[in-house]
Amino acid sequence: MTTRARPRRGDPALGLIAVVALGLYVLFIIVPVGMSAWKSLTDENPLMAQSHFIGLANYRELLHDSTLASSLSFTLVMAAVVTIVANAAGIGFAILLNKTSLSFRMMRAVAFLPQVLSGVIVGFVWRYIFAEDGILNHLLTALGIISQPVSWLGSPDLAMFSVGLVAAWVLTGFTTVVHLAALQSIPVELYQAATVDGAGRWQQFRWITFRMLAPGTTISVTISLITMLKLYDIIAALTGGGPAFATQSTALYIINLAFTDDRFGYASAVAMLLLAVSAAIALSVTGLLRRREVDL
Amino acid sequence: MTVLTPQRRAAAPPTAPSQSTKRRPWASRGHLAAAALLTLAFVSPIYLTIVNAFKTQSQIIQNPEAPPAPPTLQNLTEALSRPDRIVQIGLMNSAVTVVASLVLIIPLGAAFSFWLTRRSAGFRRIVLAVFGAGLMIPPAVILLPTIRILSIVHLDHTYPGLVLSNVGGGYLSFAVFVYSGFLRSVPKEIIEAAAVDGAGSLRIWWKIVMPLLRPATATVTIFLSLWIWNDFMNPQFILGPLKGQTITTGLYLSLGQYSTNYAQLFGVMFLAAVIPVAGYLVLQKQFRAGLTAGASR
Repeated sequence: MTTRARPRRGDPALGLIAVVALGLYVLFIIVPVGMSAWKSLTDENPLMAQSHFIGLANYRELLHDSTLASSLSFTLVMAAVVTIVANAAGIGFAILLNKTSLSFRMMRAVAFLPQVLSGVIVGFVWRYIFAEDGILNHLLTALGIISQPVSWLGSPDLAMFSVGLVAAWVLTGFTTVVHLAALQSIPVELYQAATVDGAGRWQQFRWITFRMLAPGTTISVTISLITMLKLYDIIAALTGGGPAFATQSTALYIINLAFTDDRFGYASAVAMLLLAVSAAIALSVTGLLRRREVDL
Repeated sequence: MTVLTPQRRAAAPPTAPSQSTKRRPWASRGHLAAAALLTLAFVSPIYLTIVNAFKTQSQIIQNPEAPPAPPTLQNLTEALSRPDRIVQIGLMNSAVTVVASLVLIIPLGAAFSFWLTRRSAGFRRIVLAVFGAGLMIPPAVILLPTIRILSIVHLDHTYPGLVLSNVGGGYLSFAVFVYSGFLRSVPKEIIEAAAVDGAGSLRIWWKIVMPLLRPATATVTIFLSLWIWNDFMNPQFILGPLKGQTITTGLYLSLGQYSTNYAQLFGVMFLAAVIPVAGYLVLQKQFRAGLTAGASR
């Protein structure tokens, strides 16, 4: 594309709009990141009249904060496991639904629905599904798989599993649609040629479908990871971070530190840590997946 | 990505024609059955939300999966006749927030992206990278400073403040990305011809670029409406509990009270979900066109 077209210099109106857009973005993204960085060096607390510069004390506290360690490891494990599960499920689901008859078109339409609901609704619907007198226990009892209702959200391990299941459900709506779109861009000639060469179904999947899906998978995995690192509203509605903080994501921990404990300074330090971790993961994974696209 | 023949695309997964002609009817019936079963299981939570909204508490407890027989409208009428009118107020406040945010984001995002096409390639790359960061930053990281900034201009805990933070935040990033991607496919000649005719750039933008960008505007409108409608953290803390509720924060507050009254819970949830779900079902073609455009880039 050429950048020759820069025709009229004396045309400030469009430039003015651009300045407003850029200014708002700087004011509500860049400046807040800078302010967080600054506040993370203070002991700011809305209940105190003054805040003091305390250097790296908040960051030293990060190292010894076991609540942070467990929330960060919960967030990272969730991000990794749910991203893998949701993308594998999305690829499988997309291949299964990749037909054009009316019934398949309807199935493709409803597969996206979990993405349409707000996280708050998703959280509450599943809270009912997982309840002691909820439908999951009802079904499993009817099938004779369990004799006693299971407390899906009551014990730390099961609650983590339940949160992961719900997050994977929501994300699979997205990964399915992205991979369906990617599937439709694969030329049929590739499959025809492979058939002529005697390639079986698995070989065709392994060497054609999976590889040609790579650009779609890059987008899908990156967005899944970013979504998981931000995870807040599903957890707020489903478990509130419990039991015993087992499902407290780092985003939820920041919110609790800031709005329940009134520790703005320390919350900002945790926020800077989450930002650094998110940036490192997003950049390295995108880079890795892009390289994979080329290699494939 | 290289596409050999864009006209002929694989509509179906690979089936070797020679070997499958014989088994085809059975294979394809099995395929349909498997797909249908899996899809049904996948959307069963949504099915539960719909059917249980029309059942009484005892019907829900005894047969949670059964269709409502006989259906009752009591849950919905009760949800709508709450003394705090939380459903009506929430729907209203969310609608106002979505419309006000979009009315600002769309022209700002489109004009900014158009302006960006007239800068040097290097400058454009840097700006787009900076805007890309906005899509990645977890909202919890910038929430406290955002409230602080809004309080400096006395807009904290107000709807204008919420709208302003929507306009300036990650949503603008998304709009700029969609518009910039789309503008790459707009032939420069059209715009240059208009410039030669002596039209000012604001006029070119409004009269020529905006109509060309209509599909991108559809994508931006659809996705941002959904995201802003469903947003929870920002209204929860930027508005705070005293300044009325959007549909998500109202839902969160009111459903906390119904931990075991499932009939009430599903009544309120149905009313809160019905608008985005209906909107999606009506506009699903545009939804997926937007996602597809995003994914192929």
